Amino acid sequence: MYSTESQSMSSNPYQWVEKLKSESHREEAVGKLRVILMGGLKGAFFRRGQNDAFCEDVCQESLIRVMKNIDSFEGRSKFTTWAISIAIRVGISELRRRHHKDVSLDAITSGNDMKIELAITEDDVSGNAIDQRAILETLSNLIENQLTEKQRTVVRALLGGMPVEEIARRTNSNRNAVYKLFHDAKQRLKSGFENSNFSLSDIESVFA
Amino acid sequence: MPLSKQQISTLISLVVNSTPDSLSCDDCLVNVAEFAETELMGTSLCESMLKVKQHLNNCPCCNDEYQSLLEALRSLNN
Repeated sequence: MYSTESQSMSSNPYQWVEKLKSESHREEAVGKLRVILMGGLKGAFFRRGQNDAFCEDVCQESLIRVMKNIDSFEGRSKFTTWAISIAIRVGISELRRRHHKDVSLDAITSGNDMKIELAITEDDVSGNAIDQRAILETLSNLIENQLTEKQRTVVRALLGGMPVEEIARRTNSNRNAVYKLFHDAKQRLKSGFENSNFSLSDIESVFA
Repeated sequence: MPLSKQQISTLISLVVNSTPDSLSCDDCLVNVAEFAETELMGTSLCESMLKVKQHLNNCPCCNDEYQSLLEALRSLNN
């Protein structure tokens, strides 16, 4: 897929930058980059059921992003790998947006003041019944007492299948902030478990 | 609505396997191209690349994107 000239440009990643920024070489370089991006996008997104038109749209948007952010390229990878990493995020973000466009955050985190309830029934506690019940009660208490309301909402939404960036879009936040809420929530729950009477390996094995 | 059994198992697995993570998703994007090339070449990871690996282990969204990046790079190399 890579042409000989493109491979040569890969050995000096800044050649791409120079050509893409040069008025006399830009059009040709953009054309070559477009071919490479399309090859990568097809390899990644045909497996996800997408077609040429989807890849074309993503490629176009990605070329704009690459040109806009070209000065942030640090040369620590091939230029084309860097550009494809941007294109992949553009494509997957679009798929996530389409998939969740009609799903509201409320529908996933519905009711009960955003609290997470754990359904503990007799059916759930077979086998390691006592440990499982005790762990679930500990988890329920930790969720209620250790997490903030925002963290509970994010955890609930993620467990409901909504990706981080879609939660961010619906809460007027950003992906980094939502991820941090989620990660901090996990760490708080883990710390809570570590301070309980259960070892982490026991907890995992009971729910494996 | 209570969590299902599957959601409880998922949450417990995510919590138990959670590790410290100093990167944001945007930090990961800045470094993921270098990380992918390092992994594909099978060379050892330096400290900054280990941070990327930790983030990918903790962040399902970035990990999903990373798997697609690998697919894209493999298809180009083929």
